[in-house]
Amino acid sequence: MILLQSPSRFILQVLLNRVQNIDKGVELDCHSVEFDDVRYHIQVIISFVMCALRLKSKKIGFCRPGMKFLCHVEVLFVLFHNHLFYTLCQYPQFMQLSMSLPTPPPETVFYGGLPFGAIEAIKATYGLIAQILDPPKDGYNLTMKLNLAKLPEDEEEEHALLVKVASLREVVLGAPLRVVLKHLASKTISPGIDELVALVHRPKESFFLLPEVDKVTIVFPMRFNDSTDTVLATSFLQEFVEARRTAGLNNAPPCFWSYSPPPELEGVPTQALSANAGFVTFVIYPRHVEGRKLDRTVWSLSTFHAYVSYHVKCSEGFMHTRMRRRVESLIQALDRAKPDSEGSNKTALSRSFKRLSVKDLRSSSNS
Amino acid sequence: MDAAASRPAVVIDNGTGFTKMGFAGNVEPCFIIPTVVAVNDSFVNQSRSSSSKSSNWLAQHSAGVMADLDFFIGEEALIRSRSSGTYNLSYPIHHGQVENWDTMERFWQQCIFNYLRCDPEDHYFLLTESPLTAPENREYTGEIMFETFNVPGLYLAVQPVLALAAGYTTSKCEMTGVVVDVGDGATHVVPVADGYVIGSSIKSIPLSGKDVTLFVQQLMRERGEHVPPEDSLEVARKVKEMYCYTSSDIVKEYNKHDREPSKYIKHWRGIKPKTGATYSCDIGYERFLGPEIFFNPEIYSDDFTTPLPSVIDKCIQSAPIDTRRALYKNVVLSGGSTMFKDFNRRLQRDLKKIVDARILASDARLGGEGKTQPVEVNVVSHPIQRFAVWFGGSVLASTPEFYAACHTKAEYEEYGASICRTNPVFKGMY
Repeated sequence: MILLQSPSRFILQVLLNRVQNIDKGVELDCHSVEFDDVRYHIQVIISFVMCALRLKSKKIGFCRPGMKFLCHVEVLFVLFHNHLFYTLCQYPQFMQLSMSLPTPPPETVFYGGLPFGAIEAIKATYGLIAQILDPPKDGYNLTMKLNLAKLPEDEEEEHALLVKVASLREVVLGAPLRVVLKHLASKTISPGIDELVALVHRPKESFFLLPEVDKVTIVFPMRFNDSTDTVLATSFLQEFVEARRTAGLNNAPPCFWSYSPPPELEGVPTQALSANAGFVTFVIYPRHVEGRKLDRTVWSLSTFHAYVSYHVKCSEGFMHTRMRRRVESLIQALDRAKPDSEGSNKTALSRSFKRLSVKDLRSSSNS
Repeated sequence: MDAAASRPAVVIDNGTGFTKMGFAGNVEPCFIIPTVVAVNDSFVNQSRSSSSKSSNWLAQHSAGVMADLDFFIGEEALIRSRSSGTYNLSYPIHHGQVENWDTMERFWQQCIFNYLRCDPEDHYFLLTESPLTAPENREYTGEIMFETFNVPGLYLAVQPVLALAAGYTTSKCEMTGVVVDVGDGATHVVPVADGYVIGSSIKSIPLSGKDVTLFVQQLMRERGEHVPPEDSLEVARKVKEMYCYTSSDIVKEYNKHDREPSKYIKHWRGIKPKTGATYSCDIGYERFLGPEIFFNPEIYSDDFTTPLPSVIDKCIQSAPIDTRRALYKNVVLSGGSTMFKDFNRRLQRDLKKIVDARILASDARLGGEGKTQPVEVNVVSHPIQRFAVWFGGSVLASTPEFYAACHTKAEYEEYGASICRTNPVFKGMY
């Protein structure tokens, strides 16, 4: 795995599981946290209504408590006077999906708790199956009510839509980036956005966009908490820029790294510019956002920090592997270099062992 | 308290067969995946054999680096190794102990980044270990967690203690009990008193879920069922998981099967992996004989012949005398291989028999002066037995005391990996 996938495995698994067993009507309440402090909360609330039904048939023996005879209906108990008591389970097809975003730094603008363009993006992507609840659940930025009964009939389409729901992060957090890049694809500047834009990507951290007619410059200030991580990230990024220059990658977006803020970031408050692992700049041209490439570009850019941090961890793990292997080989060398003392030890041991045997005891007592 | 404490802790329970992982506070683990890593060894051997001769060692070195990054875990690993020959499966945990730290580290890496998709720097971690793990292993774990992943805090819990804690929400909290943990690779009987494991009384037996699978496979092979050999272990595992149950009496069960074969004999349908042709086979006595190896081990192996109930009894008898009654009262099952139907009832019956016989004998010896109080024997089974350990971890890690009991990164940097040797019992446990 080199790149993170855009749909969250966990949400996708929950959704698929739910869609397969939609009739079981089990309550669900679980939460999960993703990298960069994006949190999800999935909830299915089921209310039960108890009903009584007078049966015409005398054969109530067919209905046992616990039996399910229609979907969403479970027999509770059967009484004598041909009354059947059952629970009707309501709304098992509704699922609430809440999401909280990383805390935005002061230079980033949120509209109603969401990045700009997010609501439109949600409506455009999910259509009828999702309904945005206002206000969102306490502590979250967005709450959607999903109606699983409205999923498309076709299995492939259904799966594609569920994958899209699981990619909620890309839709919401990538919305402003998508707006800018879409305008780039059509070679216009979106109205109202003509100067430097800050977009949140980690708690209290943002990256910067400079939209122009024929290109968009994107600058990531890279910050790491751990000193080892900082060093590794710095050299990783330098190599990264170097790798861009190889022949096979001529069409990739140009990419630069510098230790000090690049000139594009003039006028940005200084506290937003404190990056201990330098600044990475990408220049995106219209050819990088044509058609289908747009989705992947948006996702790769909005998770760039996670990508770097994943690789830093990978290289630490890799170094540990090498260190362990080295230690093992050194121990082996030491073992091999041991003089015969151990061998003589063994003979000494065996001699003492022999001495304990009956024959030796006898001979020693004789002497 | 730092920001990481406001986020739910990550709970990962690495078992020999399956790894359960998720966030504290949830009822179910987010993922249950086989503990297996598919490693690409092709590059490594190549570069070693010819490194002395060829001049372009750099290219080979980087190929080796790529091979180190080229691996898969869980179901994906199984699929990859089946479809192509370049990947070798490596099981990092044997009999509950981590054997291969390289693959274990990679396994954790994938768990965290690819499955849970969380940033390890943001979360406290609760990992589990089997009882009788060497303190050095705990140090290794701590080293990997703090050095590679930079976790802010780490707690290494003992699996049986967590299994006991799983009962915490279902009934009155009881941190004294015997945990019978039958996993895929190891079976332990662990007495716990007030949250402390009584290490000297731990009994482990060399029978586990894997042996049930092997036994089922053996029975099916001996009867001559037409299962393709490359698939037979997998089929045996599925048969074990889907059809096996515990009988109360083998002889009666044989009679039942013989009288009504149509009711008891199941059929298995599969597709041969090589040719794609379908095959079918019958599943008969192995349905109840599989789990029977815990109660009559002599039918499976000649080396070990003590049945599980008497192992539990011996374990409790070796525990301090003042805890024994409480231990008999709370025998908790955990692990996937205790999921057989009626396993708990059979265990309770057999254990009760042993205990009652002992009381009768002691009464007879005393000869009527003072009657011994009957000992209450209770085998508890949870509905969530399969991941009881994980659930217990999830419950404990969501209490505020958990964060105080964790080893923090600052402590690690101050004192070194040796702090991970001991993990205090904390208040949320009782």
